[in-house]
Parts: sequence; C-alpha cells; structure tokens
Amino acid sequence: MSTTTISIIKKHYRLFRPISTSKSTASSSSQKHTRYYGFIPEPAIKNFFTGRIWSRMNTPYPQSKIETYIKRGYFDITPAVITEPKLKCRRCLNEQRPKFISFHCAKCQKTCHYCRHCITMGRMCSCDELIMWKKEQPRSRMQKSQVDFTWTGKLTVHQQKAADELLTSLKQNRNHLIHAVCGAGKTEILFAPIYASLKAGKRVCVATPRTDVVLELYPRFQQVFQQITIHALYGGAQNDTQFAQLILATTHQLYRFENAFDVMIVDEADAFPYTYDEALQRAVMKARKAKAPIAFVTATPSTKLLIQQRNEKWGYSFIARRFHGQLLPVPRYQALWNYEKVFYKEKIPQKLKNWVEQRLQNQQPFLIFFPTIELMEQATPLFQHIEPTIESVHSEDPDRKEKVMQLRNEERKGLLTTTILERGITIKNVQVAVVGADNPVFTSSALIQISGRVGRNMHYPSGDIVFFHHGITMEMDQARKKILEMNYYE
Amino acid sequence: MNKPIQHCLLCERELNQSFGWEELLRKTLPQTICPRCEQRFHRVEQQQEEGVVSLYHYNEAMKDFLHRYKFLHDIVLAHVFNRILHEQLKNEKRLVIPIPMHLENLKTRTFAHIDELLKAASIPFAHHLIKLSNEQQALKTREQRLQTPQLFEVVNVTEIKGGNLLLVDDIYTTGTTLNHAKRALLQAGAKTVKGFTLIHG
Ligand SMILES: [Zn+2]
Ligand SMILES: [Zn+2]
Ligand SMILES: [Zn+2]
Repeated sequence: MSTTTISIIKKHYRLFRPISTSKSTASSSSQKHTRYYGFIPEPAIKNFFTGRIWSRMNTPYPQSKIETYIKRGYFDITPAVITEPKLKCRRCLNEQRPKFISFHCAKCQKTCHYCRHCITMGRMCSCDELIMWKKEQPRSRMQKSQVDFTWTGKLTVHQQKAADELLTSLKQNRNHLIHAVCGAGKTEILFAPIYASLKAGKRVCVATPRTDVVLELYPRFQQVFQQITIHALYGGAQNDTQFAQLILATTHQLYRFENAFDVMIVDEADAFPYTYDEALQRAVMKARKAKAPIAFVTATPSTKLLIQQRNEKWGYSFIARRFHGQLLPVPRYQALWNYEKVFYKEKIPQKLKNWVEQRLQNQQPFLIFFPTIELMEQATPLFQHIEPTIESVHSEDPDRKEKVMQLRNEERKGLLTTTILERGITIKNVQVAVVGADNPVFTSSALIQISGRVGRNMHYPSGDIVFFHHGITMEMDQARKKILEMNYYE
Repeated sequence: MNKPIQHCLLCERELNQSFGWEELLRKTLPQTICPRCEQRFHRVEQQQEEGVVSLYHYNEAMKDFLHRYKFLHDIVLAHVFNRILHEQLKNEKRLVIPIPMHLENLKTRTFAHIDELLKAASIPFAHHLIKLSNEQQALKTREQRLQTPQLFEVVNVTEIKGGNLLLVDDIYTTGTTLNHAKRALLQAGAKTVKGFTLIHG
C-alpha cells in the first residue's frame, strides 16, 4: 500500500461518513428519550451492532425491534450503494464500474445498482439500506477487561524482542511492520501484545486473507485467551450475536465492520488477494477506528510496504531466524524442459517422476505445486497411477481441509496443489517441488512462501525444495537470493 | 447489458473473446462463461417428458447457478445461457410465453428470472398469464398440488385464440406448473401448448 493510496483512502473515508438522519438533532433527542422514558438498549443488540455495518432488512433480530431502535435514533442509515458522484459500494467500498450491475428493479421501479464484489454476503442494491449503531460516548475510555492469559510457551530471544517492539508501537498508537521469515513463530509474537491490548479494554482484530489461516489460528487463540469471547469470521461461518473483544477474520469479513477496532493486525499482509485488491485494503482502513494502529505481519513484505514503513516512521521488527534456530532450506533448480507437453502426452517428466519415487521410498510426505488447475488436473491421474493416495487440491475444492489433514496424518503420501497451499500450513518433514517455477504465478514472494513449508519442525529442520523449470526467471533468482540473505544474518 | 463481458460470469477467469468478422457478421451473442465452467453443465441427450424440451440436467453446477441467480439475485447471470437459448429459440414460430412470477415475489426478487433469461438471449416473448397465488408448488404435497384449483389467469385472450404457444420455465420438476399453465391457455382457446425449460430436475 503506498502512501498515496492511504491518503486517498483517508480522504474517501471522510467523504463517505454515514449519511445520518439529520445527525445532531436525532442523536440529542434520542439521548433525551433515553433518560425521559427510560429506554435502555438491550445489551445484546448494542453488542451485536457496535462497529458493524449491516443490512437493515436482514438482521438476526425481529424487524419490528430493529425499526423501534431506528425510530429512536440509535442507528445511522445509508443506502447500500451510493450513486453520486459515482457508484460506490458502502459495504466493501468498491468503486470499480465493471463490478457494478445496473438493472431495472421491480422493487423500487427504478434503475438499481448492486455490487458484485461482495455479493456472496447477500446482494445489496442502491434501494437497500445499511444500518450502523451510532457512535457512543467513548466507553469511559476503556474499562479494563477481565482476560486470562494462559500461555506457558517460551519465546526465543528474537521473538521476545519483536513482541516488545510491537507492544511499544501499539501503546503509542503507531503502525508496525513485523518482517519475519517463514517459521519464525509469528503467532506467538502476537500473544503478549494482544493480551496487553485486551486487558486495556481495547477491541482487537486479527485479519488475514485466507480462511485456512483463520481456522488454524482460532483454536490457538482460544487456548491462550480464556474468559473472553473470540469470534472467527469467514465465509460460511455462523453469525454470532454476541460482542467479541477479539475477532479473527478473513479480510473479506471486514466489510461488515466500520469504525470498530482499536487495534488491527493484518497477518500475511502480502498474500493474495490483499496485495491486489484495493477494496480489501480500504476495508481494513474502514474497520479500524480513526487512529487505531495497524500492525502488518509478513515474511515477504513488498517494497511498497517497506518504503511506507520507513517514510511514515512505523515500528519495525525483523527476524531472520526460525524459532528452532536452523537455517532456511535453500531451493535448488532442476530443468524440466517442455513439462507441459509431456503431461499432455499422459506422461510424468522423468526427473519429476524420479523425485516422487525417491520421496515414496524415503517415506517422506510431499507437496507438488502446479501453476494452473488445468495442468494439475491433467497430471493427477498420472501420479495416482504411481501411488493411489496422491490427491490434488485447489481453491474451489470443498475437501481441501480434509485432504491436508490426511497428508498430515500420513494417510496420504503426497498432494498436488495450486498456490493455495503456499502459506499457513505446517506438515512435519514435508518435501516440496514446484513444477513450472518459471510460470508468472510463481512470484518471488510466492516461491519464498512455498520454500518456507520445508523444515519447520524442530526435529526435521531441513528438507528438499526444488524448482522444476523450463528456464530460470528473475523471480526464481530473487527468491533464492532473499532466502540466502536471511541465512547470512546472525 | 452494462458493458462487454471480459471475465467469466461464474468464475471470473479472463475470457478470450474473439471479436472477429464472423462474430460481427453473424451477430452471435457474446461468450459469457469460460469453457471450464461450460463443461460442468450437462446437456439432456434424450427428452424425457411428453411435449416438453429441457436443455440441461440438474447437477452440482446447475444447483450452484440457480443459487446464485435466483437466491443471491445476481441478475447478470441471466447471460450465462444466452447463446444456447438463442440458438434453440431464434427460429421459433410459436408465441413464446414465460411462466410469470407472482407480483409479491417479483418485488422481493426484484426481477423476473425467466424474462431475463429470454432477454439475455434476445428472444421476443409476450406475457399472457398472471400468477394467482404466491405459494410454492414444491413445498406442497402431491395431494395439495392436485387440489390447487387454479394457478394462472389468462390475459389478452384474443391474441392467443387458435395460436400455437411455447411456455418457458427455468426448471421442470413435477410438471405441475407447466400443466396448470397449459390447461389455462387451452381453455382460453389456444390451439397447441408445448413446454420448454432450461433444466430437467
Ligand atoms: Zn460491495
Ligand atoms: Zn431497487
Ligand atoms: Zn468460468
């Protein structure tokens, strides 16, 4: 995210503050009502809606109740899609014209517009409305919360230093970048700073681009922070109606929050689609409170992010060593000429076949990354011919979690995958091959992440990572160079 | 429609649209989904119902499509089947009549899904039916379905008197809807009434 992007975001954000129903009068009169009639909002309703931006006609509560609260001025209301000066989705902040569909709407009898970018959360048209719980008087600047911190693990010296630095930044409301190699133990670094924030009564969000990462983090956080409500939000998760002080969410789910968090942590800050998707970046800015600090955590920060960190004087922590203290496995190159053609002739290229047979013989679990689903699907039956438990996974595969679990449990010998498994997964003693490492989908950061799957376990700190290619690319060299650089650090 | 479609409507993959002379001369409708998504739909090889033509079987892909089109109300998905519907119906001599929605349901859904399918395929049609009840046929027992007195009322009767008609619906399940509509139209004086559905359930 560049400086300019951020300032643009800030500007837009100010422009599109909730369109309130004659703000000053409504809110002051509602406060009078509160006293006069003794109308006290139910805690459940208040808790649910605080910081959320939600469809007026589709809440977990009876419509009559919602309408009563609206009448009493507890909510701000805005059309779901703003049409002037140009189309903008109020939920995901998308403004790209191709992602809006305009049609003649039978409900409002006019031309209506809806945003396809966030349609999976329910279609919202320009004639639909979103409601937001009105800002309260600051909760007597944070009552302290009761949180139990039950983590007994120990941090390495590097982790401890990063945790202290992050804590300092958060206390000063300053943004922070944690740049740590794959396998440095990033999650453990977050525990103490998050604990301190929760204890101070702050509301914390850990956002990550991938559902898999949310699912992996959730039980770990539940174990560490007992006594408080934690929500894991991802596509398909149930709506919890309580107030959660700690929220783990995919960046997509942030669309449903506004002005909600005192601390924002963006994990895997470089991962697709976050790097690409400006709407998601805007969602992060929208979900946090105006001055809340953002901490970015990544193994492969983009140059943009590094420059921004320097220019805006964010806190910075750097960890070059894995938690077990061993060096990062360095990728080796292996030419695999015309691999695509060979696969389409129903054959596995010989060198790759040898590699797989070696893994099977050594009884080592393995991952083979493919550049496209099509090529992978072409190759899958060929591999299954050698070893029937081999399966393939991709982003649209509903059984993905299960297949990975089976690899972990040694029920499967190996998996073929697209870049979907490039991060977030840890499999003991896994060996990794990239087929077609020269394909443009394998950027240097993707290759670094993929290489980072190897040697994560303390008892198996090394392993093979091989880039099979039809020509060496700059991205491959870049990845290898960065990994070697890390290994030179003390 | 809004603008040329450059990405598959179902999976967002980039489409390799060709805008050659052939397309321009023959005025084919634009491709809207990628080959990968297209092959997930399965054509009906042999028609199973008397007097009804259905194009596709109901499978996972179709279930997903219906969910997104009819439940999530993603109206642009009306274009997914634009080419095949055009191909099938462009030389249709009979009067094409879509099964209508009840007015209340129409307001909730914000669009008439059969009409939109036909519009996307540039097939002209006319409305001669009005849906009388907004109850879902699928939710009823067989008994109740048979007892339902009348689902449709015919309007502009003079225009269909003695005519050959083609009723269009999205999915054929029990046949109740088409049968009710057919009976009403025949009683109003139509000469023949056949059915056409996108899906055979
Ligand atoms: Zn949107
Ligand atoms: Zn409308
Ligand atoms: Zn597609």
